[in-house]
Formats: sequence, structure tokens, C-alpha cells
Amino acid sequence: MKKYLRFTYMFVVVAILAAFVGGCAQASTPLPPEIVTIEKTVEVQVEKIITQVVEVINEVIVTPTPQPTAEGSKIILRVGTGDSGEGLNPHQQIIAEFEKQNPDILVQLEAVSGNDYYTRLLTQIAAGDAPDIIQIGDDAVPMFVSKGGFLPLDDFINGNYPLDTSIYLPGTLDPGKYQGAQYFLPKDFSPLAVYYNKKIFDEYNVAYPTDDWTWDDFLKTAQELTKDVDGDGQTDIWGAQLSANWTSGFEYWVAAAGGSLISPDGMSYVGYMDSPETIKAVQFYSDLYNKYKVAPPPADFNLWAGGNPEFESGKAAMRLFGRWPQTGLLSNPNVDLGTVEVPAGDVKANVLFWGGFGIFSGSENPEAAWRFLKYYVGAEGSEIWKLHGIPPVAAVAESAGMTTDPIEGAWIRGLDFLAPRAYVSTDYWGETGDPALRRALETVLIDPNADVTQVMQTAAQEAQAALDEKLK
Amino acid sequence: MNSTSIKTSLRIPRLNLRQREAILFYLCISPWLIGFVLFYLGPIIASFYFSLTEWDLLTSPQFVGMDNYVRLFTRDALALKSFKVTLVYTLVYVPLDMIFGLSLALLLNQKLRGIGVFRTVYYLPSVLSGVAYVVMWMWMFNPQYGLINTLLKYAGIQGPRWLLDPKWALSALIIMSLWGVGRSMIIFLAGLQDIPTVLYEVAEIDGANRWNKFWKVTLPLLTPSLLFNLIFGIILTFQTFTNAFVATNGGPLDSTLFYVLYLYRKAFEHLQMGYASAMAWVLFLIVLACTLVIFLTSGKWVFYRSIGE
Repeated sequence: MKKYLRFTYMFVVVAILAAFVGGCAQASTPLPPEIVTIEKTVEVQVEKIITQVVEVINEVIVTPTPQPTAEGSKIILRVGTGDSGEGLNPHQQIIAEFEKQNPDILVQLEAVSGNDYYTRLLTQIAAGDAPDIIQIGDDAVPMFVSKGGFLPLDDFINGNYPLDTSIYLPGTLDPGKYQGAQYFLPKDFSPLAVYYNKKIFDEYNVAYPTDDWTWDDFLKTAQELTKDVDGDGQTDIWGAQLSANWTSGFEYWVAAAGGSLISPDGMSYVGYMDSPETIKAVQFYSDLYNKYKVAPPPADFNLWAGGNPEFESGKAAMRLFGRWPQTGLLSNPNVDLGTVEVPAGDVKANVLFWGGFGIFSGSENPEAAWRFLKYYVGAEGSEIWKLHGIPPVAAVAESAGMTTDPIEGAWIRGLDFLAPRAYVSTDYWGETGDPALRRALETVLIDPNADVTQVMQTAAQEAQAALDEKLK
Repeated sequence: MNSTSIKTSLRIPRLNLRQREAILFYLCISPWLIGFVLFYLGPIIASFYFSLTEWDLLTSPQFVGMDNYVRLFTRDALALKSFKVTLVYTLVYVPLDMIFGLSLALLLNQKLRGIGVFRTVYYLPSVLSGVAYVVMWMWMFNPQYGLINTLLKYAGIQGPRWLLDPKWALSALIIMSLWGVGRSMIIFLAGLQDIPTVLYEVAEIDGANRWNKFWKVTLPLLTPSLLFNLIFGIILTFQTFTNAFVATNGGPLDSTLFYVLYLYRKAFEHLQMGYASAMAWVLFLIVLACTLVIFLTSGKWVFYRSIGE
């Protein structure tokens, strides 16, 4: 009995150890790591068997388009997107329209939501089995392109089915470029802006902000709207909700202070991440939280630091963020929404968040893929995108009245002041500069007495050491 | 006559009982065996090879020898930090899990009406999907509006900032994980039910009180369950991922950067599959060593009750 039991235990233990080492080598079985299915068959002395399972975190939706029945000659294109739910509707509408006009092509939409999107794409690209047309977010462009995953589009743009690239809104083509060549066309984008709740402004008789405002105006407005309503010593209404340790969003503050986080050649953090301009930005940001106390304390330190509920629940007068929650805010009864450009610091600046489509380098039908891509994010597709967001084609946005729209206008006007994001300068931003900046922001947010100059010097040195190791 | 000759020519070699049983045995376990070789053993061997290379998934692996291991031990401060975080978590969580699991099992081993309901209630959290309960706990730990700090406020205590405070974040994750104590509880409960009542009756006749009975009868006979929970607990906690990934993403200031979370980042965010494979192998060897040490010493403290004793 004893021997048998020992064997059983050892067996179970070995199986589980094996399972987890096996999980790390995904060459032959590309299981996404978050889909953790643990099945433990535990045999105890009483020989009771307990089976415990089940964690499926991500869902994979594949929307099949009808297969060609008799016409074997049709070209089938696959389109990969990270959008999900209702976000898939415009894709499907455009695809249906395109197929009507191009009877020789069938388009299949493959939607993978959640964090696994890139992982799945990478394994698909590695296996040569990726979709023909792929959607990518801004900071993933250098990685995918430098590994040879995408076709440069310039030959197509000037080829048999030419595309006039001047139709796009200013700045929206740049994130799709790598080392001078165009690899992606824009699908959607968002600079930053400030949302404000007119209800709170009206209640306290504060004038709505205007596009020409500065950091001083921003601070003054926020201070006027930070209120302890019931006199219990606790703030009830906050001036401005900010995004804690969200590093890419923080790049706006650095740019507006006239600084940058990395040298344009991508070789140095020292002299940039610890420059007087960057330090000024961090100091002001930290002061908004700790000294002036106009920003509600962070509710989380996650990726987007999006856990603060104050603005949505009508407890914060302003929020500096991207366009993503706008639809929800417009229908939120706590909020009478207004938008305005981000305030200018020493310079007027903004940063862009962006998603676009490119053509997989292993596509068997690159020309058909281009025909679809041109339609998808060109003037025709934009007629449908405009129903769901701001289309990247300027004329379509204009004819839809978005450039002059009191809500949408701020997002388009912000495009005139774009500063390049740090990931453009180095392929290694994500593992060198970003974690160092994140640690620095967390440090000053956690410890109000932290010496910002020293914190940024440490961050610059950490980032530089990590970068030097990569460049060695 | 004809049939006899066919019979002779096609005669299957006569197998003895032992051989036939062996064939049946391998036939029966073959689905598992094939799965193991294809989906575990293959990737395990592959991961060892990859641990000796630099590989970004997209371009072919470059052989670099032991460089990944050297880097892990000499040039990566974060890896060391993540190992420390994981070790602290294991050393604190595993004993707490055993104590709470055993206490609950003892409570739920009573013969009461409706005890099944309580057993279900306490076991349920460990069946729930990891992400769902982590998100719920994140709300409970919210410093301004969360349930925990609101209750503490009623008691006149200013609660900490939990997941946002590097000093408290790991503790918050431990408290969060203890909600899943039902996993070890159910094994203890099974162990408790297997202890024959006759032993307690004998102990009572010998004048033992409840305390004696627990220390002299219950605990020794539960040692196999203890061993199992100990080893299982260590393996599981060394692999902690979901809680930290969802609740803190390793922060604040890397205070909850678990080893496997760091491994995941290296593999799937920085695309260093070779380095990540090396990390996995180091962790594997550490866990294997821990397990072996526990096994080798278990003969001294684990008692098995043989059948018919």
C-alpha cells in the first residue's frame, strides 16, 4: 500500500511538473498561456477522485463567411482583427459591400480578442499561416515589421491600383511607417483630450475650458472644482482624473514640457529621461496628485490605470484620456460631456494612439489583399467607419461634420500637434524605457516626498543599462 | 480437417496471463501515454533545446549555449527579485493554506444536518474562474470605495492602500488566494473521513480527550494528506500567475512580480522564447529539488495505514 501510494504521488507530481514545463515550450502546441486548463486527478488514500478544472479566460470568435460553392476560382482573403463584440459590425458591413463589388474575392474575418491576439499572430506568422490582412496597434509596428512579418505598401500605393495617401488626416499615416517605408494604413486613432462634465462646471460657475488653455489654466480650473461638499475633510468632487502610471499616456506631459524620453537616434535615455523638461513634467504630474490634490488617488496600477470611477460617477470634473470611453460617457446620465484639447505646457503637444492594417508577407494573394485593404480603410470603408468613430479619411470626416462637431472636433484638432512616441525611436522601448518610466511614476505617486530629480536620474540610468545590454 | 490446418498455421503465440495483462495495461493507458508524449514530453525536450538558443518565434533560433542561464544568474536583477517574491509568497501562503484548510475540514467533518451545503459553500471559490474572482477582490481591495477598507473605517482603522502599496500588495494577494483554500480543505476532508471511528473509540476507552485524539489519532493518520497538500501547494504557488497578472501586473514597483509572470513577459511581451525556456527549466529544477527533499524526508513523518491493519 505504501509503495503504491508513493508511486501515485510521484506520478501526479511528475505529471504536473511536466505540464508546466511543457507549457513553456510552445513550439509544437501554441496554446495561449492564459488559457489555463488544469486538470488534476488526485488519488488520495480513500481513492476519492476529485476532478477540478476550468479556467477559460479568452474566447476566440471566428466568423466564417460562406464558402464558395461552385466557383473554385474565387480568391479567399483572411482578415485578422483584435476587435470584438459590437466592434466587429463595421468590419462585417464593409466586407459585405466589398464582396458585392468584387465578386472574385471572398473575405473571411478572424477576430481574436484579448491579450492573446499578438501571441496568436506571432505563432501564425511563424508558421506561415497568418491572415492576409492584419490589424496591429501602434507600438507593435516596429516589432512585427523588423521581423519581416509585413509587406511594404509603397509599390502597391503607386501600382495598378494606386492610392492617394494625401486623403488621410494629418499624422495618421506616420505610425504605419517603419524606417521610411509605409507598411500599414490607418484604421482608427485617438490623440488625447480632456473630457469635462458640464454639470459640475455649471454647478460651481466655472467657465468651460478652451483649446488655448495652458497647464496653469488646467491647474486653476482643477483647483476651483476640487470640493469638500459635506465638510468632513474628505474631497468629494475632484478637479481632474488622471491615469496614474499609464506610461504611453504620460508621454503627452513630457512632450508638452518640451522634452522627450529618448534621443531621436534611439541610443540614449540619459540626458532625455532625466532632462529638466522631463523632470518638470513628472513634477507637475506628481504635484497634481500629491501637492494640489486635485486628482483622485489611483485606484489601480494596471496597464491603463483605468480603474478610477470618479469621472463616470460624476465625482470628477475633468478627465485627460483617449477617445475610447466616449460613447459610454455620452449616454452616461451622470455626465453632461464636453471635450477640449489637452492644455499646452511650454509647448502645445499631443500623442497619438493608433491601429492600422497591413499585408502579411506570406500572403498568397498580395494584390487582392491590397485591393481589399485600399477599400477597407480608404474612402469607401470610411463611409462605414464614420458611423462608429472618426474615419481616418479627412474628406469623409469633414462631410460627416466631425471636424466642427463640439465633441469630435477636439480629437481631430489634436492631430495638428503630434509629438513622436518613444517606441518610434527604438525597437526596445517596451523592455527598456517603459518599465523604468513606469517604476518612476509609481515611485512618485506612492511617495509624495520622493525627490523627482533623483527618481528620474535613476530611471534614466536603469533604462540606459537595459538598452545598452540589448544593443551589445 | 481444413479448419484444423488453418488453426495451426495462424496460431497466435500463446501468451501467459502476465503478458496478456501487460498488453491490456498498455492498451488502456495508451490515450494518456500518447497525449503525454505528444503534448508534454515533446515540448519539454523542445524547451530544453530552445533554452540554449535565442529565439523570437519569427526568425529561426540561434544557438547560444549556456548564455541564457548565465544571464539569468548573473545579469538579471529582476529575475532574482521575482524569485524572491515567489519564495516569500510560497513560504507564507503554503502554511496558511494548510492551517486554514485543515481547520475548515475539521469543522466540516461534523455530522450535522445540511453539512453538505456548507462543504459546497466553502469549496465553491476554488472552482471559480481565476480572473472573475480576482476582479471581484480588486474591488474589495479598492482603497477608497472597497468593502474591506469601508469595514475597517467603521472599526476606526484607516486601511492601507492594499494593491497600490508595495508593502501591502503581496499580502493582499495572499489574502485573495486564501479564498481558494477549499482545494486543500477537500483533500483533508477526504483524509478525515477515511480515519476509522474504531480508533477514536479505542482512544476514548483509553481516556483520551479531544485534544489527545487530535494529536495522537487524527493528525498522524492525516499525514499522507498533509504530504500531498504540501507538495501540491508548493508546486502551485511557485507557478502563481493569474492573480498577479490581473490584479497588479507585477506592481507596484515590482513588489508582486512573480517568477512565472516575469517569464511570461520575457516570452510573450519581449519575445525571448529562449530566455523564457531557460527560466522555466531553472524553476522546474528548483521545484523538483523541493519535491524530492520533501519526499525523502517524508518517511520520517508520514504514516500510512495499511489495509487489514
